[in-house]
Amino acid sequence: MENFGLLLDGFQIALTPSHIAIMVVGVLLGLVVGVLPGLGAPNGVSLLIPLTFSMEPVSAIILLASMYWGALFGGSTTSILFNIPGEPSSVATTFDGYPMARDGQATRALTLAFMSAGIGALVGVIVITLLSSWAAEFALRFGAPEYFAVYFLAFCAFIGMGSAAPAKTAVSLLLGLALSSVGMDTITGSLRLTFGISELIGGISFLVVVIGLFGIGEILITIQHGLKFRGVSSRVDLRDVFRTIAELPRYYATLIRSCLVGTWMGITPGGPTAASFMSYGIARQWSRRGKPFGTGRPEGIIAPETADHSAGTCAMLPMLALGVPSSATAAVMMGGLMIWGLTPGPMLFTTKPDFVWGLIASMYVANIVGVILVLATVPMFAALLRIPFAIIGPMIVAVCFVGAYTVSSATFDLWLVLAFGIVGYVFNKLQYPIAPLVLAMVLGHKAENAFHQSMIMSDGSVLVFWSNPLVGSIITLALALVAVPQLVRFATRLRRTEVDEPLVK
Amino acid sequence: MVIRRFHMELVVAGLTCLAGAVTALGSLELGVGWGESGPEPGYFPFYIGVLLALLGSYNGVYALLAKRGDQELFVERRHAIRLARFFGPMAAFVILTIFLGLYVGAALYLFYTAWRQGNYRPHFAALLGGGFAVALFVVFELMFKVPLLKGPLEPLFGIY
Repeated sequence: MENFGLLLDGFQIALTPSHIAIMVVGVLLGLVVGVLPGLGAPNGVSLLIPLTFSMEPVSAIILLASMYWGALFGGSTTSILFNIPGEPSSVATTFDGYPMARDGQATRALTLAFMSAGIGALVGVIVITLLSSWAAEFALRFGAPEYFAVYFLAFCAFIGMGSAAPAKTAVSLLLGLALSSVGMDTITGSLRLTFGISELIGGISFLVVVIGLFGIGEILITIQHGLKFRGVSSRVDLRDVFRTIAELPRYYATLIRSCLVGTWMGITPGGPTAASFMSYGIARQWSRRGKPFGTGRPEGIIAPETADHSAGTCAMLPMLALGVPSSATAAVMMGGLMIWGLTPGPMLFTTKPDFVWGLIASMYVANIVGVILVLATVPMFAALLRIPFAIIGPMIVAVCFVGAYTVSSATFDLWLVLAFGIVGYVFNKLQYPIAPLVLAMVLGHKAENAFHQSMIMSDGSVLVFWSNPLVGSIITLALALVAVPQLVRFATRLRRTEVDEPLVK
Repeated sequence: MVIRRFHMELVVAGLTCLAGAVTALGSLELGVGWGESGPEPGYFPFYIGVLLALLGSYNGVYALLAKRGDQELFVERRHAIRLARFFGPMAAFVILTIFLGLYVGAALYLFYTAWRQGNYRPHFAALLGGGFAVALFVVFELMFKVPLLKGPLEPLFGIY
C-alpha cells in the first residue's frame, strides 16, 4: 500500500495545469512523429532531448513519455487509414485495420485501435505501479557483478529472442559497444579510439546515431519503396465511436490475452514490435469461427494494438528499476535521464521519488489524454500525409539535421548523421537489427564500468560472475538464452537430414 | 552493373570485421593488460573488437557458404535512381550548411527540392524555404533559446 501513497503524490505532480499542457504538447508532437514516415518514436524522442536540457527533469520526462504514447497512437492511425505502418510496431495493425477501414468502417477501426491501445497502456502502467518498488528494492542488493550480469542478460536476450539472425544481432550490439567506447574514458581519463581525430574526443553521441539510423535510414527506405498513399476517408463520426466502445467488452478474452503477451514482452527485452506480432498470431490461432483474419476482423486490430501499447509502457519498468531499457525508445529516454544528471536504477526510487512517481502518474493521465486527443485530431493528422512528399520529405530531413546539430553544436555530427543514415539503410535491407546497436551505445559505459569493477573485485577472474547464486543464475540464464535456440535449431536440422537421407537415395 | 544482395552481405560482413579489427588494434595501443590500478583502458574494447571481427567474418563465411541472397537484387535500378535523387540534394544540404549555416542551408534545400523535384513554381518554393527557415528561427532561437549554426549571411540581418 506504500506504492499507493507514493502514486497519489505522483498525481499531485502530474495533474498540475503546466504538466497537463506538456502532455498535450507531447502527445500532439508524438502524433506528428508517428504519422510521418521516416520519423519514428526513438528518433522523435532524440530530436526533442536537446530542447529539454533547461527543463525540470520531471517535466522533461513527462514530455518525452507523452511523445512516445502519441507516436504509438500515430503509428496505428496511418496503419489503418493508409495501410502504411507509421511505426514498426504497428505493422500487424495493417493486416485487419486497413481492410476494415476500406469497407467504410474507418471510425470503427480507429476506435477499436485507440481504445484497446489505451486499455493495454493502462494495464501496463498498473503493472509498473505494482511491481516497480519491489523490483527496485530487489535491485538494491545488486553489486557490480550483478549489474554487469543484468546488462549481459539484456544483450543476450536480444540475440536469443530477436527475430533476426543471431550473428547479425550480435554484430549490431558489438558495434554499439565499440562506438560507445570512443572518446575520453571515464575511468582512466585516457583518450580511446579517436585515431587523432579531435572531433571524436568528446565521444559519439547516441542521439546523433539514433537520428541517423532511425531518421535518415528510415526515410531512405521509404523513398525506395515509393510512396503510394491510397488513403480512405478519415472522418470520425461520434456515434460510431460510442457504438464501437459498447462493442468492446465482447472481446474481453482477446484483450486479456493480448495484455498478458504485451506485459511479458515489455518487461523482457522482446519489445513492442515482437509483442504485437505474437499477439496477432495468438489471436488468429484461438479464433475458429467468423470471418477469416486479414479481412477486417475486430480481434485482428485489438490484439496487436493492446499488446503494442502494454509492451511499450512496460518497457519503462526495467528502465526505471534496473537501468536496463528493453526497447529502442526506452533506451533513448534512459540516455536522456543520464544527460539530465539522473542515474536510472533502483537508487532513483529512494533519491528522486517525486520524479519516478510523477512519471508513473503521468502515464495514467497522458494515455487518457492521448485517446481523447487522437480521436479528436485524426482528420487533421491524416491530412499531413496528403502533403506531397517533395515538400514533407526534405522538411523531415532538415529537422533531423537541425536536431543532430542541437545535441552538441558540432558540424561534425552532421556528417555522422549522413553516414549513419547510409548504415541504417543498408542494415535495414540486410536485416541487421538496429535497436540493439542503440541499446548497446546507451548501456556501453555502464556495462564497461560494471565489468571493470567486477574484474578489480576478483583480480581479473571471470569466476566472479558465478561467485554467488544470484549473479550466477543471471549469467547462466543469459548464456542459455543465446545457446538454447541455436542448439534446438542444430538438433532439428540433424534430425531432418536423417529423415531426408533415404529419400535422397 | 548489378549489385546483388549477396555482394552487399559480403561487403557489410567485411566492413564489420574491419571495424572490429580497428577497434582491437586501437585498444592494443592503449594496453589491454592489467595495470597498477586494475584493467588498462583498452581492456574492455579490445575484447569487443575481437568478438566483432570474429562475428563479422562468421557472417561473411556464412553468406559465402549459404549463398545468402545470391539471386536477390540489393536495389533495383529505378529504386537506385530515386534514392540518388533524394540523397544528392541531402548531401548538398549538409555541405551548404557547413559553409552558410543551417538557416540558409535548409531554406535553399527546401527551395531546390520543391522547385525541381516537386515541380512547384519558383516563388512558391522560395516562400516555402524562407518560411521554414523563419519557423526554425522562432522555435529554436526564440522559444527554446537554442542557437543553431549560422553562416556569413545572418549578420547582415543583424542576427548573431
